[in-house]
Amino acid sequence: MTSTTLAPARRRLPLELIGGWEVGLLIFMVLLYIAGVFINPKFFGQTDAISAILRDTARYGVMAAGMTFVIINKDLDLSVGSTFGLVATVFSLAFSTSYYDLGIVPSLAAAIIVGLGVGLLNGFFVTVLRVPSFITTLTMLFIGRGFVLGLTGGKTVSYSEKALTAPWFFQIGETNALGFNNQILIFALVTIVGMFVLAKTRWGYETYATGGNELAATYAGIPTRRVRMRAYVLSALAATLAGLMSVAQDKGITSQYGQGAELIVIAAVIVGGASILGGRGRLLGGALGAILVTLIDKVLREGIPMTRTVKVGDVEMQVQGMAQLPPGAVPAFLGLILLISVLIEPWIIRRNVFPRLWARLRGRPLPPIIEMGGVAIEGAQTKGSSASDRSMRARGPIGHFLARRDAAAIILAVVLWCAGLYLRPDFWGSLDNTFNLMLSFTEVGLLSIGMTYVIANGDIDLSVGSVLALSAATCAFLMKQMGFDPWQAVFIALIAGAAAGVVNALLTVSFGLPAFVATLGMFYMARGIGAWLTAGRQLSSFPEAFNLLGRKLIDALAYFGVSPAKGTLLYDIAAALSVQTIFMVIVAILAGIVLAKTPFGQMVYATGGNRRAADYAGISTARVRAISLVFSALCAAFAGVIYVAFLRSFNPSAGQLRELDAIAAVIIGGGSIFGGYGTVLGALAGAAVIALIRALLSLQLILGNGQSFVMPQHWVNVFIGLILVIAVVGDIWFRQGDLAGSVRRRFSRKSGPARETAHV
Amino acid sequence: MSENKTAKPIVEMRHISKAFGPVQALKDINLTLGEGEILGLVGDNSAGKSTLMKVMTGAYQRDSGDVLVSGKPTHFKNPHESREEGIEMIYQDFALCGNMDIAQNIFLGRWPKKGLFVDRNRMYAEADQVLKRLKVDVNSVFQKVESLSGGRQQSVAIARAISFNPRVVVLDEPTANLSVMATERLLETMAELKRQGVAQIIISHRLTDIFEVGDRIMVMKRGQNVGDRYIQHTTEQEVLELIVSGTPETALTADQALAGRAA
Ligand SMILES: Nc1ncnc2c1ncn2[C@@H]1O[C@H](COP(=O)(O)OP(=O)(O)O)[C@@H](O)[C@H]1O
Ligand SMILES: [Mg+2]
Repeated sequence: MTSTTLAPARRRLPLELIGGWEVGLLIFMVLLYIAGVFINPKFFGQTDAISAILRDTARYGVMAAGMTFVIINKDLDLSVGSTFGLVATVFSLAFSTSYYDLGIVPSLAAAIIVGLGVGLLNGFFVTVLRVPSFITTLTMLFIGRGFVLGLTGGKTVSYSEKALTAPWFFQIGETNALGFNNQILIFALVTIVGMFVLAKTRWGYETYATGGNELAATYAGIPTRRVRMRAYVLSALAATLAGLMSVAQDKGITSQYGQGAELIVIAAVIVGGASILGGRGRLLGGALGAILVTLIDKVLREGIPMTRTVKVGDVEMQVQGMAQLPPGAVPAFLGLILLISVLIEPWIIRRNVFPRLWARLRGRPLPPIIEMGGVAIEGAQTKGSSASDRSMRARGPIGHFLARRDAAAIILAVVLWCAGLYLRPDFWGSLDNTFNLMLSFTEVGLLSIGMTYVIANGDIDLSVGSVLALSAATCAFLMKQMGFDPWQAVFIALIAGAAAGVVNALLTVSFGLPAFVATLGMFYMARGIGAWLTAGRQLSSFPEAFNLLGRKLIDALAYFGVSPAKGTLLYDIAAALSVQTIFMVIVAILAGIVLAKTPFGQMVYATGGNRRAADYAGISTARVRAISLVFSALCAAFAGVIYVAFLRSFNPSAGQLRELDAIAAVIIGGGSIFGGYGTVLGALAGAAVIALIRALLSLQLILGNGQSFVMPQHWVNVFIGLILVIAVVGDIWFRQGDLAGSVRRRFSRKSGPARETAHV
Repeated sequence: MSENKTAKPIVEMRHISKAFGPVQALKDINLTLGEGEILGLVGDNSAGKSTLMKVMTGAYQRDSGDVLVSGKPTHFKNPHESREEGIEMIYQDFALCGNMDIAQNIFLGRWPKKGLFVDRNRMYAEADQVLKRLKVDVNSVFQKVESLSGGRQQSVAIARAISFNPRVVVLDEPTANLSVMATERLLETMAELKRQGVAQIIISHRLTDIFEVGDRIMVMKRGQNVGDRYIQHTTEQEVLELIVSGTPETALTADQALAGRAA
C-alpha cells in the first residue's frame, strides 16, 4: 500500500529533471572539451580527437549499457573490467598461433561462453544464494584478474598476422568507409537498442519495478530474481562484446587488460543520472556519462604541454615537455568522481536543489524538499528469524564450543596447521616457517580486527588494502623524500590513514551512502594517492630504528642489547615472534575487550542488529559507525607502517587484495555480512585460517616424480576469492538460515506437530 | 465508562496536519487520551494511524497543530524526548535487535555498568525480574531474540517499554502476526497495565481485540477523524460502517455521539 502511493510521487519529480540532466551533461562535456583544447591543443585541437575519444568510449559505453540494468535493479557489478579482460584473454589464447590456434568462430564461441558463464554465476550467487552483490562481484573481479594473470602468465599475446585471416571480425576495430571507427557504430547500436528495451518493453518495466521496490514488485507478480539474473547476464555479455571490440582493435592483449574499467563504467552510469539506491537510471544518460568520464580520463592522462627552462652551465635552454600527472593520480581522480556522482542523486536531485534555486531566482515559492522520513521508515533489519539459538540447546563443554559462531574457524585453523605438518613435516614446524606464518597472520589479523567492528555494525570497508598502501606510501615518502625522522613519519602516516577513515565515515554516516560505495571510492582513491605520492617508485632503505617495527623480537632485543642466550626457549620464542605480532596482539586484546565487554561493544552489535531499534533506544548509531570506520582505517594504517618496516621498502602494490583476506577472515570467524555478529577472537581465528591457506598453497611440494611444484601467487588469489564466497554462502545458509535445521525439520514434519514460526 | 468523561486527558493532539511531499497524511486531526484509558485506533491502511502516533512521539515532525502532554504544550524532536515524558511506542516491527539476547534487548542502550564494563550479572538478574513482573514466560533471558516466536518477541518489546515506567504506551498493530494464544496473552498484559494506571493506544485491524480491552475507539480515514465512540455504547457493526463510509461529519466526539444516541 505504502509503496503504491509513494512511487509516483517520488518518480515524477526526478523524471522531469533527468531530461534536463542529459542536456546538462552535454553542456558540461562541451565546456570540458573546450578546456581540453586550451590545456592541450596538440591533442584536443586535432579534428579526429573527437573520433578517437568516441572510439575509446565505445567499449565503456557498451559496458555502461549492461551496467545500467544492474544498477537500476539496485545491484552492482564490479566484475565487468575483469570479465572484459578474461573474455579478451580467452579469445586471444584460443586464437593465437602460439597457444591453441583455433579458428575465429570457435575462439569467439569460447569467449562468449566464458562471458555468459560469468554473468550466470554472478546472477546465481546474488539472486539464488543471496550473497550481497558487491561481495559477489568484487570476488569475481579478483578471481577474473587471477585467471587473466594465470592464463597469460603475465605475458603479452599478439596475433596481428593471423588476424588477416578473419578480416570480417577484425574489421570491427577499424575505421569504416564513412570515416569513423566501427566500434562507435556498435556503441550507438547498443545504446539505441538498450534505450528501447528499457523504455518500451516489459523487460524495462520489470527492471524499474524491481529496483524501485523489490517487495512490491514481487507482490505484483514480477519474477524479480529472474529480472536481476537477466541484468547480470546482460552486463556480462556487454563486457564480453566490449572485450571482443577491444581485441579486434588491438589484435592482442596484455595481462593488464580491462583493469579498473569497472570504475569508469560505474561512474559513467551514475554520472548519467542513475541512482545507486536503485529504481532510476536511463541508458542515454549512461552513454553520455561514459563519454564524459572517458573525456575526463583523457584530459587527465594526456598531460599538459609545457616549456621548462633548463640551465646547462650558463646557458638557459627552453625544453618542450609534457607535464603529466603521475601514475595513481588518474584512479584517484576517478574514485573522487565516482563518489561525487554517487552523491548527486540523494543530495541534488532528491533535494530538488536546482528547481529550488530556479524558483528562488524567479522569486517563486520553493518546491518542497521530499521528506525521506527519519529512522522511523527504514525497514526492520532483524534477520534470520528462523535461526534457532543453538547455544540454548547446547549440552556440555564441547556442545557449547560447537555452538559458538567462531567454532568452525578455530577448528579449521588447527586442521590446516596439521595439514601443513603432514605435507611438509621437514619444514612446517620450523622456526622460519613459524615466523613467516605469524607475519602474514599479523597483517591479515590487524586488518580484520578493524573490519570486525565495521562488519558487526552492518557496514563494510572495502578500502583497507588501499589505506594500507596509502599509509605505507606516506610513511616511506616522508622519511625518504622529505627527510622526516621515523616517529614523525609514522605519526603522519597514521593520520593519513585515519583521515581516509574519516572520509569513509563522513560519506556513509553523514551523506548516507551505502558503506560499500563510499569505501569503494576510497579503494581507488587511497591507492591512487599512495602511488601518486611515491610516483610509482619503489622507496627503500630507511633508518634502522624504524625498521625495528618490522623485525623479529630478537633483533629488537639485540638492538637494545638485552637478547637472551642462544638455545634457550626464550631465544626461540623471541626469534619466532616479531615486534609487529606483539603489537597486533595488544591491539587485538584491547579491541576484543571493548567489543565484548563494554557498552560501546554492545552498541556496535545493536547497530548491526537493527539500526532503527538502536537509534530509538538512544544509541547514537552514527557515532558508533563513524568510530568503527575510522578504527578500521587506523588498523590498516598501522599495517601499512609495519609493511614498510618489515619489507624495508615500499611497493605500490602493497596491501593489494588484503580487503578480501580481511573480509573473509571476519566472516569465517563468525561475522555476518549483514551485520550484528563477529568477534575479535573469531576474526583472528579467521585470519589464521587465511594465513594458513595462503602458506599451504604457496608450499613447495615435492611431487612423486621428484619434481617440485609451487602454485603461482595469482592462482592462490583465485583460491582466496573462492574461500570468501564459500564463507559468505556458508554463513547465510548454515549459520543464519539454519539450513541444516530446516532440512531436519522438513523430514520430521510428518511426525511432529507444526512448530510456532516467527514472522519478522 | 462514563467516568471517562471527566478524566483529564494525559495527551491531547489538536489540529495536527502532516504532509509527506504531495501526500497529505494527516489533515487537521484531533486526538485525546484520558489517564489510564485504552484507546483503539482503527482505519484502513494508509489512513495515517502510524503517522499520527509518530507525530505524538516526535519520530515525525508535524506541519501544524499542538501536542499537549498533561496540559503542557510539547515539541518533541525525537522519540527520546517523548520517552522522558513517559510516552513509549512499540513499533510495528518490534524494534528489537535480533542478534542480541533478551536481557541485552530489554536494556538496549542503557546497559547497567560496572566501571568501564557492562555489568552482566546485574543485567540478567534485572531483566529476569522485569519479565517475571509482566508474567512473560520465556525460557531464559540468555536467548537470542531472533530465535523467539513473534508473540514472544512482542512480549519482550513490551517488557522493554514497561521497564521505563511509562505513563502512555502506544502499540502499533501488535497483534498483526500473533497467534490466538499470543494475542490473548497480550490483551491480558494490556489489562494488567491498565490496572497499574498506564494509558494505552492500540492500533489494530482486529476490532474484536479492541472491543475486548478498549474503553474508546477512534476511526481514521485519509488522515482525518471520522468517528469517536465509547466501546460500551457502540457495536462492531457501527465501527465497520464508519471505517467504510465515515466522513468528517460523522466524527463527533465520543461524548457527542453518546448524547446523540440518548436523544
Ligand atoms: N516517511 C514517509 N514518507 C513518505 N510518506 C509516508 C511516510 N510515512 C507515511 N507516509 C504516507 O502517509 C500515509 C499514512 O501512512 P501511515 O500512517 O503509515 O498509515 P497507517 O499506519 O494508517 O496504515 C500513507 O500514504 C503513507 O504512504
Ligand atoms: Mg501503520
